[in-house]
Amino acid sequence: PADSGDTAQERVRSAPAPITDVARLCVCDLLVAQCDANCCCDPDCSADDFSLFTTCSVPVVTGDSHLCRQKAAVYSLDVEANPPERIFKLIDQVNPSIFCIHATNYEQALYLKSPEIPTPENFDQLLDKFGGATFSAEPDSWNLDTDAQNPPDANETSRYEYGVPVQTEDAFLRLPSPVVSSWCSDANPAGFLVNQATKCIRSVSVEKCDSIQALSMLFYINSSILAVPKSSQMVNITVQSIAVQSLNGTRTLLNSSDVLRLPMVLDELCINAVLRVNYHITHTDTGEIIEAAAAFVLGAISKEALSVEQSFEISFTQEDAQPVPLSGNPGYVVGLPVRAGFWPQGYPFPAAFLTNKHSQLTILQSTSTQDCLAAQGARAPVLFGYNMVSGCKLRITAAMKCQPLAQTLLDVLKGQSFPEYVASFGNSQAQDVLDWMPITQLHISEQMISNTLQSSCQIPVSLGIEVKWTKYGSLVNPQARIVNVTATITSTTLKQLPSGRERIIPVTSSVVFTDISSPAEPSYKAWPTINIKLPFDFFYPFV
Amino acid sequence: SSQLSSLPLQILLYVNGIYYIFYFLATLAMIIYKSQVFSYPDDFLAPDLAVLFLMAILEVPRSYLGFKGNLTEAEAPLGLSLGLTVGSVVLCVYLLLWQTYVLWADVLLNAVLLSAYGLESGLKVTAIAAFVS
Repeated sequence: PADSGDTAQERVRSAPAPITDVARLCVCDLLVAQCDANCCCDPDCSADDFSLFTTCSVPVVTGDSHLCRQKAAVYSLDVEANPPERIFKLIDQVNPSIFCIHATNYEQALYLKSPEIPTPENFDQLLDKFGGATFSAEPDSWNLDTDAQNPPDANETSRYEYGVPVQTEDAFLRLPSPVVSSWCSDANPAGFLVNQATKCIRSVSVEKCDSIQALSMLFYINSSILAVPKSSQMVNITVQSIAVQSLNGTRTLLNSSDVLRLPMVLDELCINAVLRVNYHITHTDTGEIIEAAAAFVLGAISKEALSVEQSFEISFTQEDAQPVPLSGNPGYVVGLPVRAGFWPQGYPFPAAFLTNKHSQLTILQSTSTQDCLAAQGARAPVLFGYNMVSGCKLRITAAMKCQPLAQTLLDVLKGQSFPEYVASFGNSQAQDVLDWMPITQLHISEQMISNTLQSSCQIPVSLGIEVKWTKYGSLVNPQARIVNVTATITSTTLKQLPSGRERIIPVTSSVVFTDISSPAEPSYKAWPTINIKLPFDFFYPFV
Repeated sequence: SSQLSSLPLQILLYVNGIYYIFYFLATLAMIIYKSQVFSYPDDFLAPDLAVLFLMAILEVPRSYLGFKGNLTEAEAPLGLSLGLTVGSVVLCVYLLLWQTYVLWADVLLNAVLLSAYGLESGLKVTAIAAFVS
């Protein structure tokens, strides 16, 4: 039975009536005007097609199985016959249960309701009802409950918590990011303490580039950030630095970052368009934002460009703290660099380690030229858990002197500032002296022990760093902890070459991570002890 | 003089009373079952339940008047009981034909009840004729 729009709208076309005749219903008939494989009820299939089927995917078509008596269409393949043919039978199916439905006076009981066809009259009402992301069978009585809950929640957050969107005067601090596709969406709020970096593409047209808001610096700094959610205390976003990127990619840092540079069209280029924004937010340890700064990279867009890639980054630092990138919290995370440093000159115990990029644990990075002397300076950081091998080839001529060659090779292998200490945990602070393990340096010289003459030349040809680490902590969540780091330099004797000849020796460096964790011992909680003690004056009159 | 009260009517009234209790509980249980297993909106559930309870309310005076009329050989209570029986028959026919879901068990129960009512009505008419004359 068709449930046509029975609200007296004659012009409305109702949905086609659903088919209820089981002989004409076919669930596996998916392809229009083509025969579906193994679909015995498909009217598009001929007898030749049926002879190729192996089985019937839909053997029986019936209505609701609760009915006492109903017609059923039974399809089967007679494989005995040659060629196999399809058998179609229309039978009366009987439900033997005493609780089968004999009759029903309620039409929608056994059939799905035909949906309302949208018309100009009922479109708005249908959109209200079904246009949202969710809709329920219940009427709008839910809205009353949710409204009542909102006001009490508002007063509870008096400070920012992790993940809460950073609020500004009008809405949220926007960090444009790609949603679904790579195009920028400005509706992504930045979460407190969530360090994010996003890249997205924005469509631009050079003629209108001064009217596109997202290309101008003002869009990113004009609304001030609320120090705590729902308060009136504002923190202005200051411009930390502006760098200008030219069309070929070179960036120059501007001296004065006070001047606001807005995009404008110049010589068929759009200059001062925002290409990159880095937000730096400083906060207290109680969840209040006290400072906000933004560093911009402005660039030029050429006339042919239809889109520009913008990248955004936000990072949060606690006040009075130096941001140090952690390699894990607390155990090392595979893939993050091993943190290392060395004592600055100040014995016995200076205030802190020097841990900066220049004193990272690095190894030689192989280059395409494979020439050790040409590749000085290319180094790769040692990442926890990744065993690496790299090398280069050294061409030795007769004219090279031993001592400078050995020193150069040592520099090539170890780098400019080879650190002395390695952090045992990924989040070791520089102040905790005991968390830092010294790097053991070994020298092996690869030659016969006996013929050590004073004039032989030893040059280092290989550096092997072995990092021993163990699993630390609980059995279900073990943390990686570095126990020992050994750097072994292997030297070999350089025999004097006859003049005019040259030799090529390979120089290698490697990093190996070895897991020396002892097998875990599960420990069990101690049985609770019953601690019964009588009060001290229990036996009062007698004691 | 001979006894005018009809013995078959008395037996039937007695048995009908017991059967009706079983019928009421079974039909109520089946309505609850139907509301859980099938789609049974409130607009359709309410009339069915109302009819069932109305029939139960009618059954009490109908049965009592039948007993009293037959035992005291008075035709007035018996006549009134006959009238109430007509009402019960109508409600029974509703439950047999126009309920939202009529299960096979419903059909059986209602058919038995209808036949009991029919037989009862016949016996009551005979008894009234006997009392009047």
